Amino acid sequence: MSPLARTARVTGIGLVTPLGTDTGEFFDALCGRTLAERRSDKLRGGGPPGGGGPPGVCRPPAEHPMDGIVEVAGFAPDIDPMRLLPPTEARGVDRFVLMAMAAGDAALADAGIVVGRDVDPARTAVVVGGGFGGLTLFEAHAVARHERGRTAVSPTLLAGMLPNMASARIAIRHGIRGFSSAVAAACASGAYAVAEALRLIREGLADVVLAGGAEAPLLPTAATAFRNARALAYGWADPAEASRPFDLRRNGFVLSEGAGVLVVERPEHAAARGRAGYAELVGWGVSTDAYHPMVPRADGSGVAESIRLALADADLGPADVDYVNAHATGTKLGDAAEARAIRAVFGADAPAVSSTKAVTGHLLAASGAVEAAATALAVHSGLVPPTHNLDEPDPECDLDHVRKAARQVPVRAALSGSFAFGGHNVSLLLTRTGGP
Amino acid sequence: MSEEVIAFTLGALQEMNFDTDGADARTVLGPAGIDLDSLAVAELALRLEDKYGIKFAPEDMEVVTVKTLGQLASDVATRAHRPVAR
Repeated sequence: MSPLARTARVTGIGLVTPLGTDTGEFFDALCGRTLAERRSDKLRGGGPPGGGGPPGVCRPPAEHPMDGIVEVAGFAPDIDPMRLLPPTEARGVDRFVLMAMAAGDAALADAGIVVGRDVDPARTAVVVGGGFGGLTLFEAHAVARHERGRTAVSPTLLAGMLPNMASARIAIRHGIRGFSSAVAAACASGAYAVAEALRLIREGLADVVLAGGAEAPLLPTAATAFRNARALAYGWADPAEASRPFDLRRNGFVLSEGAGVLVVERPEHAAARGRAGYAELVGWGVSTDAYHPMVPRADGSGVAESIRLALADADLGPADVDYVNAHATGTKLGDAAEARAIRAVFGADAPAVSSTKAVTGHLLAASGAVEAAATALAVHSGLVPPTHNLDEPDPECDLDHVRKAARQVPVRAALSGSFAFGGHNVSLLLTRTGGP
Repeated sequence: MSEEVIAFTLGALQEMNFDTDGADARTVLGPAGIDLDSLAVAELALRLEDKYGIKFAPEDMEVVTVKTLGQLASDVATRAHRPVAR
């Protein structure tokens, strides 16, 4: 038996986001082009339901269930259930499960892995986090039961909506027989899942882990709760300007749906397949605010502690980190607390910082996985995406912001943070890979 | 009434994405025919209960997969003509 690995390699990325389903186009949209260029693009998928508009966040079309509930949202491409499931099981599976399955397929294909051919099914694991679970399906059943009574509730509701079903359906589809679980830590779920993947690889429990998050929150009741909590951006004439992390005029986040799944692989296993992958996952840190269910500690001490733990876990110092992909969602309190945490850990020589949520919106439980992917792509390419819409940085968020345009940085190590309702703080550290 | 129940049942099975091509009163509902699993039987029963105002007991469900479409339909027709037992 070979010695236990200290790190794990990201060898595959699968995304379903408001920017579409193509990873290259996703990263292009994050950093390669200006907002004006992106608006004139015709990228595949994402954008307004029914097509016809640019990808990214947008106004809900008239008659859409979100119309009149949110001003702006990030809609991911439709996923045809018949493409992913046997016909008799295709009905009644929640959208978060379908998006997770599509992302899982894409991640495995990207990694060049067929379970059973390239990896032992018993040495393959799946951990996909979720926030709401299948509430879209649940709400539809609740309304139908109210109107028609008991017989309106399908027995397939359970298989369609339970939060673990993203992991379960991916396992069934690909014959994954090793460790499987689901993580529920609200907006940190996806990042938690990636941290779990590193733990599983280090403990020698798996050679390949599919790790990620999925969220389908664009249903009336859930969206209304965010709106009534005054968490959502409002009053923007141009919906593309609504999500503006760290900006002085920010007034909330943009609710988005989607999924991100990473193939996290034991480095020796990847090297034996000749796969350098995108980046090496080298450390994780988790702390808890123990303060308030929906408000972060204003001094950012919980966030800072998770960053310090991740650095210690990776045996890296603050000076080794060249890029921070911030959680920053565009809320007044959250962005400022995170900025304080970053300054507290990194001091005056803080690394380049950006939040990709300006373009994607906030994918809640999926965000940590999608942003871990964005961070891996930044490490891989040496190109750091900017924070779009950051016209005037808030003095409360004094950082080395990458704004207006992407910045070329030979990124040695990069940090991706996810900080959730509930006070769950997760930090991940990635570095360049050593190659096959 | 059985003919109507068969037509309704076939429509329900099609909505549930089961292949009903060539199915008729003699077609078995279980593995030898339509291939309903226990969850699908439960769902079909709900649809029949909803449509005809009848009620199946759990033990009625266990034997559905060995029945033909015609046998199920006449069972439904019989139940629809008598008061639901309390």
